[in-house]
Amino acid sequence: MPFKLTAIPTTALATTALAATTLASAIGVAGMAQNRPQDVNVYSGRHYNTDKQLYAEFTRRTGIKVNLLEGKDDELIQRLKSEGSKSKADLLVLVDAARIIRAQEADLFRPIRSAELNKDVPSNLRDPQGAWYALTRRARPVMVNPAIVRPGLIRTYADLGRPELKGKLCLRNRASVYNQSLTADELVRRGKPATQQWLRGLTANFKQPLFTSDTPMLRAVGQGQCGAAVANQYYLARMLQDKNGAERSTAAKVKVVWPNPTHVNISAGGVTRHARNPEGAQRLLEFLVSPSSGEGYAAANNEYPLKGWGNNPILKGFGSFRPSPVSMEQLGRRNREAVQLMTQAGWD
Amino acid sequence: MQPELSVGRSGLLLVVLIASGLALLPLLILLKDALVGGSAGGLGLGADGARQVQGTLLLVGGEGVLGAVVGTAIGWLTAVCRFPGRRWLRIAQLVPMAFPAYLLAASLIDWGSHRGLRIHGLGWAIALLTLANYSYVFLLSTESFSVSGRRLLEASRSLGVGPWRSFFRVALPIALPSIGAGIALSAMEVVNELGAVRLLGVPSLSAGILDRWQGDGDPQGAALLSLVALAIVAVLITAERLLRLRSRRWNLDGGRGGGHVWTLHGWRAAAAQLLCSLPPLGAVAIPTLWMQQGWQGLQAEPLSELLQLAGRSLGLALLATAVTCLGALLLAICRRWSPQPLVQQLSFLAGLGYAIPGSVLALGLIVLGGPLGLSPVLLLLWGYGDRFIAVSKQGLDAALERIPPSIDETATSLGCDWLAVLRRIHLPLLRGPLLVGALLVFVDVVKELPITLALRPFDFDTLAVRVFQYASDERVGSAMGPALLIMLFGLMAAFALIPSLDQRD
Repeated sequence: MPFKLTAIPTTALATTALAATTLASAIGVAGMAQNRPQDVNVYSGRHYNTDKQLYAEFTRRTGIKVNLLEGKDDELIQRLKSEGSKSKADLLVLVDAARIIRAQEADLFRPIRSAELNKDVPSNLRDPQGAWYALTRRARPVMVNPAIVRPGLIRTYADLGRPELKGKLCLRNRASVYNQSLTADELVRRGKPATQQWLRGLTANFKQPLFTSDTPMLRAVGQGQCGAAVANQYYLARMLQDKNGAERSTAAKVKVVWPNPTHVNISAGGVTRHARNPEGAQRLLEFLVSPSSGEGYAAANNEYPLKGWGNNPILKGFGSFRPSPVSMEQLGRRNREAVQLMTQAGWD
Repeated sequence: MQPELSVGRSGLLLVVLIASGLALLPLLILLKDALVGGSAGGLGLGADGARQVQGTLLLVGGEGVLGAVVGTAIGWLTAVCRFPGRRWLRIAQLVPMAFPAYLLAASLIDWGSHRGLRIHGLGWAIALLTLANYSYVFLLSTESFSVSGRRLLEASRSLGVGPWRSFFRVALPIALPSIGAGIALSAMEVVNELGAVRLLGVPSLSAGILDRWQGDGDPQGAALLSLVALAIVAVLITAERLLRLRSRRWNLDGGRGGGHVWTLHGWRAAAAQLLCSLPPLGAVAIPTLWMQQGWQGLQAEPLSELLQLAGRSLGLALLATAVTCLGALLLAICRRWSPQPLVQQLSFLAGLGYAIPGSVLALGLIVLGGPLGLSPVLLLLWGYGDRFIAVSKQGLDAALERIPPSIDETATSLGCDWLAVLRRIHLPLLRGPLLVGALLVFVDVVKELPITLALRPFDFDTLAVRVFQYASDERVGSAMGPALLIMLFGLMAAFALIPSLDQRD
């Protein structure tokens, strides 16, 4: 081999030096950027590439630069807690009511007053004191394979416990925060004893093993391995738009059934307690929530806007639903209890 | 007796103290937080916790056994036997290391779901984790087989002992410390693995710790689970230590034996080729099969974005590798020169960072870093060093123990101070393990997820972070671009090691 062993240390040194310089300059630029007081720094639990386009649009219109840190919701919450007053974040965006309330209970938000936000965001989708505001809505209907389960059989979530569905019901496991919120929804609406009974019926119908993600679960429904499942609507919408023809035809076999009422959840944002640029953060929030851009924010990921059904043809094709009257705040506050009930019922 | 140090005995102690202090600080902070704060749930594992402990133990046991068998067998075959394609197959063993386990799991599950095949549960988890981690055993064992006991092997061959018996009675006992080190390393990776194991639905300690801490708001329960995880790893490391103590054989051969000891023919050669090609093919087959579904995912990221991500991953990995290997070398040398048990213990503890699941370590660093106001990149390097110092230390320790102390004594009696001994005797003999360690750390940092995700500054995504963001959004297809680059870096690092592997021929 022409490559000499003794040459490696020198090359390694040289590469490391080069890397160090590159890294240092990259950090230097980033550091400088964060020092501009008029920037808005966003910690976001949403991580859809399309969000970046909207932030870029905001910068174009207002000249305010948006610095983005995407991550797991719970980690962002922990990070903000530890950073305390030293935190650089101005805006915190999280997904699912449970996590938003967790952040609120950790005192990570600062209440703001905004007539525009109060107008654009329905009252059950925001904090009464103005700590956080919903940005998009997502619904969790029942997805059915009509060849196996008659769609008309399911009129509410309670019907998922019917004996006709034994061994045909596929669900995600208890770790899924979406299912936790669904249970919390039932808990608020129907009370503890009814929810416990519902959970017992549900677990009796499980087709094991439970799934760890929505998309393979929906494929199983389309392929006939599951009769019914509960999933967020945007996963199916995405499958229907996939460039892969086989994926589209599998998704086409899945029918969306809207229980009455339907469990709705949100992604939401709020100005952080120690924000250095709260005015900028508030402007960004108002921009994201405004009907024109809000639709763009939601539609790119096949989510619903805050009011109405939006202009997404696929979502329109799913039909309309009656959203549950439960407020996001209630969903969040009952989350721990819901998880306990799920554990007791044997939902693993 | 260990030779006395002329200067800086206390300096050694200081170095080890600082290193182990840095390594342990995040863990101690977490424990303090957990034990001092109020408790939400009752103390105790609970049914969930018990299942998670069982899950992790089963994974460790399964992967340990399977990885040991596969890694040792392939290490032996490629080091000592000769058959067509041996050289390429030896290099190919480094391919599976380039694939993050969570990506293998996500693409396999996705591919399976298109065909109505449910990829789920303990069996699949053990298989995938073995595929992702057997390379530790392979690398350390092949290094040992190539270097140690050549004369003994040749002697046994000339005495008419066949390959099988030579392997079991001569080569294996000599290589046992290195194999043990490899098994311990891969087992620790299994304890730490979070993403793949969650996707496959196997309860695990790493997931349990995170869920309790952040989901349930029960830091004490999480700390308890962390202690269990640490206990498992402590058992692994201790077992490996005992193994090394019992099979203390110094290699007085000196040079590397040239040539191979056995040539395989006919069906034996074919069997060897088959065994050696299975893991690399398996690792490559998974993403390839799944990419067949469509290349559209590759367009998800613009090229400039991909290059930026790649630049950050590369830069971080190179820096982290330099820092970590230097630290490991320092610790290994200190351990060798100082007979004080305190130094030995501290050096052992410094390597424990590997045992802490990355997500827990990240939590500890977040808690530490906030008040200290350290730059995020500094925190990242701290985290990488803490986690991966054990990776290079294991190989170094095992290799240093192959060097008999008599050599040190001879050198010092001839007037060399410890620095000269280091430079002229230890370092040349440690080149192999140092390189292996550097390669492993480099690939690990490029693939690393939880620490990077939790500590990075604004607008500072790496390739691994981007892969995770897409995969956790169930857009595994779009993760292909950055994932291919991760694999490319892994392969590049692997190819950088080829000269060192080939030199033995």
